[in-house]
Amino acid sequence: MLSYALLVHAAPYSTQGSLSALRFAEAVVARGHAVKTVFFYRDGVHNASTLMAPPQDEVHLGERWRRLHATSQTELLVCVAAGLRRGLVNQAEAKRHDLAMHSVEPPFELTGLGQLVDAMLTHDRLITFAP
Amino acid sequence: MTLHLINRTPDNRGLFDDVVEAISEGDYLLLIEDGCYAGLAQTRAPLGSLPRGSVGVLKEDAESRGLLGRLDERLELVDMDGFVTLTERFPKSLSWF
Repeated sequence: MLSYALLVHAAPYSTQGSLSALRFAEAVVARGHAVKTVFFYRDGVHNASTLMAPPQDEVHLGERWRRLHATSQTELLVCVAAGLRRGLVNQAEAKRHDLAMHSVEPPFELTGLGQLVDAMLTHDRLITFAP
Repeated sequence: MTLHLINRTPDNRGLFDDVVEAISEGDYLLLIEDGCYAGLAQTRAPLGSLPRGSVGVLKEDAESRGLLGRLDERLELVDMDGFVTLTERFPKSLSWF
């Protein structure tokens, strides 16, 4: 069994990258491997928005990521610097920056790039999904 | 040995030229998303110099773009399970964009 980390640069619904990453993650799990970490970077941080509400007949990317976490214990890590710039903040960051509301909730976690480096060093594979 | 992934259309000629130049013997190039258009028989020119068996097209992405049956026959059709298999075979991957 191999451990995988995925790096997602793609914003949801703008390009195919997020859906490609999700389908790849599900295929990895189906082959008996582990997707330990998904790191959302740059516009990819929008995948973590708890306010995402796509039409019911479309893929709900946020829900699918949460399901991946629930079934495979995948860490869903969000770059905090990329998130702050785009209004993707959890409760703690909202408080720190005196913002009226937050838009990121568990299982998504705000983290730094150090976590990405850690994932690169500790997992067997890193696959990048471009915007 | 490296697995190269490209998701851009072949209109990005400079990018495809760079990929082709960077590919070493034993590497594999998988066309995904809009990269599948580079697999069309009449637009495969940038990949023409790569050896048979070293370039594949992600089947699901080619199918969703109506490209099945129109692809260069020298290319391998790789499904999502096959994509994972390629990442098992190649410890390193590089995504071009």
